[in-house]
Amino acid sequence: MLARLLILAVSSLLLRPALAVFADEAWNIDYHYALLGEPQQDTTFFHQPYAGSRASLVYTLSNKGALGAVNPRDGSLIWRQLLASNGSTSTSTFLRAGENADVLFSGIASQAAAWSAGDGRLVWEVNVAGDVKDVEILELSDGSATASGSKDALVLSGSDSHALVQRLDGATGTVKWQHNLESGDIPYQVSASTTQVFAILLHKTMLGYYKIKVLSLDPVTGHKTDEYTLSSENELTSTDGIIAVGANSASPIIAWTDATHSVLKVNIIGTKQIASFNIEKSGEEAVQQIQIHAPHHSTALAHFLVHFQTATSHWAEVFHIDLKRNKIEKAYDLPKLSGKGAFATSTSDANVYFTRVTDGEVIALSSASHGVLGRWPIAGFGVASVPGEAIEPIRAVSELSIKGDLVSAIRTAVLLSTGDWILLREGTSVWHRPEGLAGTFSAAFSVPAPVESFVEKLEKEASINPVQAYILRIKRHIEDLQHLPAVIVTLPQRFISGFLGTSADGDIGSDSFGFHKIIACATEGGRLIALDAGAPDRILWNRKIGNVALTESALQSPALGVFSLAGTPGIGPQYFNASSGAVLPGLPSTSLAKEAADSDISQGIQFTLENGGLQAYDTNARQSALWSFAPMPNERIIGLVSRPVNDPVASIGKVLGDRRVLYKYLNPNLALLTTADDKAKSVNLYLLDTISGSIMHSSSHQGINLDDPISSTMSENWFAYSFTSDASPLAPKGHYLVVGEMFESLVPNDRGPLSATTNFSTLDLNPQPFTLVHSYQIPESLSHLTVTQTRQGITSRALLAVLADSHAIISIPYMALDPRRPVDRDATTDEQMEGLFRYAPVLEFDPKWYLNHRREVAGIKHVLTTPALIESTSIVFAYGLDVFGTRLSPSFSFDILGKDFNKFQMLATVAALAVATVGVAPLVMRKQINMRWQFT
Amino acid sequence: MSVEASSTLQPRWLLDLNAATQSKPKHGALPDPPGYSPPNALQSNRSKNAKSVTTRKAPSSEEMDTLKLKKAWEMAIAPAKQLPMNAFGMYMTGNSLQIFSIMMVFMLFKGPIQAMFNIQSTFQRLESEGNKQQMILVKAAYVGCNLLALALGIWKVNGMGLLPTTRSDWLAWESAREPLQRAFYVP
Repeated sequence: MLARLLILAVSSLLLRPALAVFADEAWNIDYHYALLGEPQQDTTFFHQPYAGSRASLVYTLSNKGALGAVNPRDGSLIWRQLLASNGSTSTSTFLRAGENADVLFSGIASQAAAWSAGDGRLVWEVNVAGDVKDVEILELSDGSATASGSKDALVLSGSDSHALVQRLDGATGTVKWQHNLESGDIPYQVSASTTQVFAILLHKTMLGYYKIKVLSLDPVTGHKTDEYTLSSENELTSTDGIIAVGANSASPIIAWTDATHSVLKVNIIGTKQIASFNIEKSGEEAVQQIQIHAPHHSTALAHFLVHFQTATSHWAEVFHIDLKRNKIEKAYDLPKLSGKGAFATSTSDANVYFTRVTDGEVIALSSASHGVLGRWPIAGFGVASVPGEAIEPIRAVSELSIKGDLVSAIRTAVLLSTGDWILLREGTSVWHRPEGLAGTFSAAFSVPAPVESFVEKLEKEASINPVQAYILRIKRHIEDLQHLPAVIVTLPQRFISGFLGTSADGDIGSDSFGFHKIIACATEGGRLIALDAGAPDRILWNRKIGNVALTESALQSPALGVFSLAGTPGIGPQYFNASSGAVLPGLPSTSLAKEAADSDISQGIQFTLENGGLQAYDTNARQSALWSFAPMPNERIIGLVSRPVNDPVASIGKVLGDRRVLYKYLNPNLALLTTADDKAKSVNLYLLDTISGSIMHSSSHQGINLDDPISSTMSENWFAYSFTSDASPLAPKGHYLVVGEMFESLVPNDRGPLSATTNFSTLDLNPQPFTLVHSYQIPESLSHLTVTQTRQGITSRALLAVLADSHAIISIPYMALDPRRPVDRDATTDEQMEGLFRYAPVLEFDPKWYLNHRREVAGIKHVLTTPALIESTSIVFAYGLDVFGTRLSPSFSFDILGKDFNKFQMLATVAALAVATVGVAPLVMRKQINMRWQFT
Repeated sequence: MSVEASSTLQPRWLLDLNAATQSKPKHGALPDPPGYSPPNALQSNRSKNAKSVTTRKAPSSEEMDTLKLKKAWEMAIAPAKQLPMNAFGMYMTGNSLQIFSIMMVFMLFKGPIQAMFNIQSTFQRLESEGNKQQMILVKAAYVGCNLLALALGIWKVNGMGLLPTTRSDWLAWESAREPLQRAFYVP
């Protein structure tokens, strides 16, 4: 007990400096969705974390390669491991848990691993040649495995020509035996019964059809005992036709179908008979999908359910396997229901139960008979969507407890078509996790519609003559009066919340600080999901989108209150209302932003990455390139950043300590191009003027580790990039951050050759900027860089960097990176007045810079910033796997009262003074009169 | 001694009568002890007693003018005498913007400006028909001295960085050069 207290005290001491933001702002202004990605059918299940545990957790290995355990009570993440480093996987993934086992086996890419189910710690890890094709648990009691209580794992791995079956010790991961499959067949899956291990391979015939080949191996020695081939060549033209291969003796089947889904063939593994079932045609509609749901536990009855899905309806058939007679019989049908449905299997002792989830009901059935055990209507899934859209269940896993013949409790975790993962207790939604956001590939900010219309009104007033503007304004105020009753009703509430210090965040309509930006996220699951940056615990709307280009810049906000989503080539962009998610036929013609954008583009120059180089065209004449930039022959372009389109600069110069001015080189047409040379292991950076195509600055770095991320960013008159250099005889391996700042002249008070001309064209006279560069050695590689944005650019900027390795986002103040920091000497008084201090080559990340404080923000790929209405604040949104957002004030919040400001105390002080004044007044009056009349 | 001897011979009312010429002591309600007379009263007594009252000859208007001019010059030079002390004070307060140094600088400006506005009333009672010509010179000197004090104030304000004398003070009025072309990245 004492030791625990001590550890607590020590850890709290250690944690204190790690609070990046003010304590009253943490957990308050920032938000975080710790996501896993969409759970997969075969790799999601309820499981007790250890034998004898009363509560079970939901385990999943998602489509993003994240393995995690979720508490089914509240949907909180218990633990999480990212197995795929790049976040997305194309290969299939496997997750298995033995009955009553406290270890999970996972297989992904070339790695098979075992994880402790309770806390997610790695037990062992084995890397195989090629990809892991299947992982199964060997439910076998041959005496060798029972010593540690953990069961062994079977791993099938390999490439198309060479495959390997391995039996790995469940406790240590050591190979007990391995069997090489040199036949040249495609390894497909592995299945284990109590007496035999089957390796299922696919043999490709000359005509391109597939035959299923089954090898049986001895589970103790790994020697081959038998081999036979199933004649499946009539049906199988591709591996997609195979529906399922059972894992163990509870489902010892191989099932496949033909391309048109007209017949279902089932084989009991170990026999050569093939049972054939015709699939009934449901009217004109073709069956789109067939799924088999079978129990996972080897002790369960050998019953399985086949789920048929057409575009508008679904039904299922339940089959029983007679293992003694090696026969498969159809037991009963489940009625056809419209819409999509999801089925889940659960076991209780040997009994098998099926749960059917439709868009309106949860139905529990026993596998033995067609009687319905329980039926619970679903009041609502409790997730956001757009009006008119039907939310459908996609996948489900369930857990039920049986008392006698009745279902006493049923919990079903359902993945919905909106990308939300919800838990239904009976028929009520308990929690939901927006797992669809894990697949965000593009995001953008916009303002809500009320703000947008208000801005438009103001701009209209500004553009017409004063008298009319005055009439308009009066009209607007009269219109505003209509809202007065509503405002009066909410007044007491506002006063109370004002006293409690929660008034900074109102609702989306009355957003005086501009914190309520709408963030839309386009996800790989084909959804567009909108969040409110000021109230992020609620999803505003969630809608389906068609085919889109999966590019980072697909989603934009071309006008206030409008999102545009770039379509696939040939299809124009789609437009959406930011507040409601409704589809707009086009950009609103009244919007001023559109006119501005149109006029801008028409006389501009476009540059684009083409043919391994950078090409620039005149917008009106795209025939020939204005200029092109081709990197050296063996270089490839790995990054291109330009100055943000909206990048306001408050001051065009830097005021020195002696009040002279260094003029910044402010050219909006700058782009920083990063190229890599794989052979020479070098990275080159070119700062280009995108009008003339000339190089304004370039630098080259040798001995670079090109596997580590190389990121870059630009803002104002400076750029920053980061890379990792390999170990060399001269220097150890290290991560670097380089910052360069450009000036028109390094002589104070000098504006360079262009002097004070009001406009310039780099085509006429293109003076080179004077660039100061400092490089810093940093403790970690930075996978993404971006810069905070504020409304007018008065607030100092901060560099936001994503630390992929430590799952964090930091904001580095520009002052710490300033390339004017004096080298090898202390700063003079004048320099100190500017905030410069002596340059140190090692830049340690101050714990106060961590924006995520105690949170673990995993898998972030991109960070967006946008200005709030108040100058001090920039709104930050990060996405990738997790979704994280916060508000940032690089120069502290100088224009807004902090949460620590005690309004109650202030008002109480004023009131007390007023009371004192009134109370003391008669006393003072009497004293003054007495002074006149009395002599002492 | 002779006074004491004679006073013993005179009756009290006569003594009181003679002594009544001097004023009562300013503080204390107690009367002077009998026979005590303050020194000045004594002197006037003695002079009255010793010689006949000789009325001082009133100064002539020329003399009066000279005196007034002298006095006026004194007043005109007075601000200059304060300069070294002010300068030292200003130097000691430093160039930081604090309430104390700001107050000092404000006083430094307020004094000379007020003095120059009140220049007529300052020299009015010293001015006469005769010395009008010289008084112009005096006033000029007075203004000059006050300007010196003002210069000290300006020097101080400059030291504090409040005068827009450097490039950075006009930076806000300088605007960035507008580019004639814009380039956009098209993915």
